[in-house]
Amino acid sequence: MMWSEKHRPKKIMNMVGNEEARSSFVDWLVKWKKGAKPVLLIGPPGIGKTTLAQLAAKEFEYDLIGLNASDVRNRANIEDMLSPLLGNTSLLGRPMIFVDEVDGIHGRADFGGAEALLKILKEPTVPIILAANSDQSVKMKNIRKATKPIYLKPLPPRLLGLYLGKVLKEEEAKLSPGATVKIIIESRGDIRSLLNMAQAQLGGFDPPTEKSFERLDVEAGINAFFKAKSKEEAQIVLYSLRIDPREKINAFYSSLVTSSLPGATLAKMLDVVSEADMLYGKIMRTQEWRLLRYLDNILLRLYGENVQVQFSQYNLSWPLLNRLRWDGKTIKALSSALAKKFHVSQSTIATFYLPYILFCIKNKKMDLEVSPEYAEIIQKEIGLLK
Amino acid sequence: MSWRKIPMKFPGTCIVCNQKVEVNEMGLWAKGLGVKHEKCASQEVKELKCIICGGPAGCPKCEFADDCDREQVSEFCVCKKCEGLADSFLQYQKAVQKNFSLLNLKQ
Repeated sequence: MMWSEKHRPKKIMNMVGNEEARSSFVDWLVKWKKGAKPVLLIGPPGIGKTTLAQLAAKEFEYDLIGLNASDVRNRANIEDMLSPLLGNTSLLGRPMIFVDEVDGIHGRADFGGAEALLKILKEPTVPIILAANSDQSVKMKNIRKATKPIYLKPLPPRLLGLYLGKVLKEEEAKLSPGATVKIIIESRGDIRSLLNMAQAQLGGFDPPTEKSFERLDVEAGINAFFKAKSKEEAQIVLYSLRIDPREKINAFYSSLVTSSLPGATLAKMLDVVSEADMLYGKIMRTQEWRLLRYLDNILLRLYGENVQVQFSQYNLSWPLLNRLRWDGKTIKALSSALAKKFHVSQSTIATFYLPYILFCIKNKKMDLEVSPEYAEIIQKEIGLLK
Repeated sequence: MSWRKIPMKFPGTCIVCNQKVEVNEMGLWAKGLGVKHEKCASQEVKELKCIICGGPAGCPKCEFADDCDREQVSEFCVCKKCEGLADSFLQYQKAVQKNFSLLNLKQ
C-alpha cells in the first residue's frame, strides 16, 4: 500500500503544518449556516487540501460529494449533479460539496460550468469547499470574490523531517541521513512527495541523483517502470510520470512495439495499451476527465517482473525508420523525376507506377533514363521485389 | 499588514537600524508599524517560530536554511532542541492541541 494513503491522518488534529489555516477552516465550518460564503482552499499539491475536506466531512458528520473541475465543465452537468443536493437537503442526509482543482475550469472546454458554479456559490444551501493550486489567474477572480480564501503553504523542511521520522518509526524502517536530507529537500514542502520518495527509496528504487523522482521525464519513467522491483514501485513511477496522457500511452506503445518481447506477451501488452487508448478516447469524446484517474491503473497491468523493455521514442524499429527517412527521401526525388517523364503526379508514380517500372527494369523490358544518382535505390528496391 | 515603498514626506527613524530616514529618501512604511530603510528591509531575516517551545525556530542556523523559503512556508516549525526530543512528534501534536484548541474536535 502507498504510504501516502496508509499514513493519511484520521483527524484534522493529526495533520501536519498549516496550523492557522486548518484552524480558520474549522472555524468557518463550526460557524457555517445557510448562505455563508463557501471556502476556497488554495495551495500547491500534496499539502492536504483534499485530506482536510475529507476529514472535515467525517468529523462534522457530513456526506461529502466530491467533484472535480471536469465534472463542472458544462452547465447541464453541474445543474444535474448539484441541483438535487441544493434543493432538498433533508432527503439526502447532510451533504457537503467539495470541488477539487477548481482552477482547472478554463478556456473553451468550459461550457458555462464556471457561471453555473458561481451562481451556486453565491447562494449556498450546503457547505461548499473548493480547492485550487493557485488563485492568481484572471478566471479565478470571480471565484475568489465569491468565497473565503484560506491559503495552505508548503511545510518547512525541518517539520517535514519530524513527520518523516514518525512515519519511518511506524514502518520500522531506516534511511541514511544523506538520503533523508535529500528527500526532505527534494519534496519541497509536499508531504505526498515526501512519503512517495521515502517509500521508493526504501523499496530499493534509487531515484536519479540529480533530479527529483517526482519529475521523471518520459524516458527515465518508462525505463524505471519496467525495471521496477515490485508492482508497488512501478505504480509510484507511473504516478510520477506527470505528462500528457496521450504522450504517456504513445511512449508505452512505441517502447513495446520496438522491444523484442515474444509474440504472445506483446499481444497481451498491446491489448492493455489499446484499453488505455480507448479510455483516453472516451475521455476526449465525453470530456469526462474524472475517468483519467483509471488510466494509470490500466497501464500498471503492463508491469511484469523480468520484462525487458527499453524506452523508444519511435514506434518503428530503427533500421526501418532509417530506411524510411533516407531511402524515402531518394524515392521521393526519383518519383518527382519520373512524374515529369510520364506526365502524371508524383504520388501516382509512387503509388501505382513505380512497382511496375521496377518489374520492367528487373525483367529488362525497360531501359529507364534517369540520373545515375538513382541507380542505387532502384537496385535496392528491385532487390526487395518478391 | 503590508509594507509600502514610498518616498519619505517626513523624517523618521528606521525600526531596524535605529538610524534616521531622511525626507525624499525611498523607504518602506506600514501603518502603525513605522518606517525602515530599503536596505534594512532586505537584510531582515524572517524567523519561524517553534510551535513546541514557543521560541524562535533558529532559522539562520538551520541545516535547511538555504532550501527553506521562509516567506512561503507554513508559519510554524520546530527548533533544533525540540526536534531532538525523544517523542518530538507527540510533543508537536500536543503543542498544536494547546495552541489551536479549535482543532481538537470530539467525535
